[in-house]
Amino acid sequence: MNVRRITAVARKEWRETVRDRLFLLMSFLLPVVWMVVFGYGLVLDVEHVPFAVLDRDQSSLSRDYLYRFIESRYFDYQGSVSDEREIDRLLGDTAIRMAIVVPERFEQQLLEGRPVTVQTLLDGTFPLHADTLKGYVIAINRAFTQELLTDFLTRTRGLVPEEARRLAEPVSLETRYLYNQEVRSTWSMVPALIMFALMVASPLLTALGVVREKETGSIYNIYSATVSKAEFLIGKLVPYFVISTINVVVLWVIAVWLFGVPFKGSFTAFFLASLLFILCSTGIGLVISLLVKTQMAALIITIIIAMVPTILFSGLLVPVSSLSPGAQVQAHLFPAMYYTDVVRGSFLKGLDLKAMWTDLLVLAGFAVALRLVAYGLFTKRPKA
Amino acid sequence: MHRTDGESFEAVRLWALRLFVMTRKELLQLGRDVPLLLFLIYSFSLSVYISGAGIAMQLHNANLLVHDGDHSASSRELIHRFHEPYFRFDGEVRDPKEGVTRLDQGTAMALLDIPPRFHESIAGREPVAVQLQVDTTNAPQGLAAAAYAGRIVGRFSSDLTLSRLGAASDGTMLMPVVDSAHRVWFNQDQDETWFQSISHILRMITLFAFLLPAAALVREKERGTVEQLLVSPITPFQIMLSKVLAMTLVILAATALAMVTVLKPVFGVPIKGSVSLFFLVTMLYSFTIAGLGLFAATVTKNQAQVGMVALLVISPMLLLSGITTPFEAMPSWVQSLMALSPLRYYIDVTYGVLLKGVGIELLWDSILAMALLGGVLFGMGMWRFRRQFQ
Repeated sequence: MNVRRITAVARKEWRETVRDRLFLLMSFLLPVVWMVVFGYGLVLDVEHVPFAVLDRDQSSLSRDYLYRFIESRYFDYQGSVSDEREIDRLLGDTAIRMAIVVPERFEQQLLEGRPVTVQTLLDGTFPLHADTLKGYVIAINRAFTQELLTDFLTRTRGLVPEEARRLAEPVSLETRYLYNQEVRSTWSMVPALIMFALMVASPLLTALGVVREKETGSIYNIYSATVSKAEFLIGKLVPYFVISTINVVVLWVIAVWLFGVPFKGSFTAFFLASLLFILCSTGIGLVISLLVKTQMAALIITIIIAMVPTILFSGLLVPVSSLSPGAQVQAHLFPAMYYTDVVRGSFLKGLDLKAMWTDLLVLAGFAVALRLVAYGLFTKRPKA
Repeated sequence: MHRTDGESFEAVRLWALRLFVMTRKELLQLGRDVPLLLFLIYSFSLSVYISGAGIAMQLHNANLLVHDGDHSASSRELIHRFHEPYFRFDGEVRDPKEGVTRLDQGTAMALLDIPPRFHESIAGREPVAVQLQVDTTNAPQGLAAAAYAGRIVGRFSSDLTLSRLGAASDGTMLMPVVDSAHRVWFNQDQDETWFQSISHILRMITLFAFLLPAAALVREKERGTVEQLLVSPITPFQIMLSKVLAMTLVILAATALAMVTVLKPVFGVPIKGSVSLFFLVTMLYSFTIAGLGLFAATVTKNQAQVGMVALLVISPMLLLSGITTPFEAMPSWVQSLMALSPLRYYIDVTYGVLLKGVGIELLWDSILAMALLGGVLFGMGMWRFRRQFQ
């Protein structure tokens, strides 16, 4: 291992990168653009759901009931319709996601103290959505029922309102949200976006490095040079490792200053994990670069391998614990999941090195394994 | 009359022949890239299966810890109601602090705390509150857990009211209660595999439809072979169109593969609408995205650059158009930005045709928007491409 030769390869690689202005610009710009666009734009809460109503009762109580949906920030009132066929059409066209049908004699039955069933029609194409909507509807029903009941008990049993209310709700639930008291999805999203930016952009930096030289034939200079396999591979990585490290710091600053996400943990642990993670993500690009023959294949395979599991199996949107066993295996075989734990842990939970050492160990393991695979795949004696 | 048009017929024949030859060249070139081809097949088969079967965004088996300060019949009854599929009872803790440590470590998602004298309070008709602490590092999941817990406790509470009033009243159980009968359309069982597997195919179509033609064009620029093509009788339009045609054919074949091997046999997605309409729209969508890809290829010089541009353009489309998260909730600036994303319209059409079984009479506006975007993108790519080589 000769430091001078490594520097030579690294300098050549650095110069090539710097001379490609657009590529250099994008390698710094992409993570920042993602962070800002997704940090502000990627909202996971189910809100502003478009819905329509069919009020068959047209009473003051039915209007009062429906008004609770109309004024809720979870729903977005699209108007009232006069028959069910209209609802079919609106749901089919995705103009609405939900419709509420209030039956005839809604007011009369309730005032007489009889239960009433309201029909809700939900669009099930996005099942998570439908499920969350059911929850909202049930919560509104419960609040409405409690008021009716309190009122009913006061009227029919001669209880004072206070006592009636107590009878109407004997057990209540107090919820405390830990780590993210106001339940801002920005707070859970932004730290994970650091992972996203490093995982999706960094492999592409290294993916074309070796295969480009193979395609243009300049790799023969390396084959015939004194530089060893390991020196070449390390030299190739250095510039992209530096770029990604700068990006980590920039992203951290954006998360803390622009989005105001609290950073409660240890910066050393976070930074160390980030360096290990960069070694993993650039390593993935390098391995792909060694496996394929054309730049086109390297480009497409890298983008898809970097992007798809990162969106689906990294804990960015779906927690790994709710994946099926098969998908969990895939999640564990991919370094992004461990880093997501570290990032969210350092920002929101305030965990230190001691609490996260297993994640760091796994990341280090991935980094080493990817290097070994790359070393094994690269040969200076190509087949004819 | 046709005889006098013999020459123009010959010209058309020659034009079509040249286009055919070029398209064939693209297909052959792609066919020889074995790693890429294998990856394409994987992406539209096994990968669709893994995502379809694997991802459950609905709250599912959230690990629940319980601190029971009462250990009475009532507290046990309440704990018993937290069960699968939403919650999974993960043991009791002696001390709430121990529970919080488990939440810190991320091995549990929620901690239910039942106060001492819970049973006595209920029996003595005093209002009583139980506490739930939820991990909201993943905000939507935390909220979902809190909502389910709210439902469970609410039901427990109203059951108590019912039994009390039932006992107190003169036998008749009359209560003014509003209840909802939910009817879920298009996917009664809320089978998430349908949504996820279709989403995954849309994701793959988008990525390949952009990258394949873009990389193919920029590769020719990089190597200089495009100069050779331009001095041949082939027009720039034919060069671009042949790449799009070849890659669209490949994508349609891959989509068919995904439907035949995974969607129908494994997940049993009910294909309610017209399959030919779906493939027609998929073709239109591939053209549109290919137009975008070719435009990107004209503003870049090498494949590394086109990859970066692809990431810049595609990742917002994939994350914000509504296949990963609900579209309505997005801030309005995102919604107006995404009006420019062809995927936004393709999603509506795909789910409309495959799951809802609606036809062109409802979907024409989305199809039209997609066609317009496609025309503009293709035209812009064409314009830049011509200008570069004049």
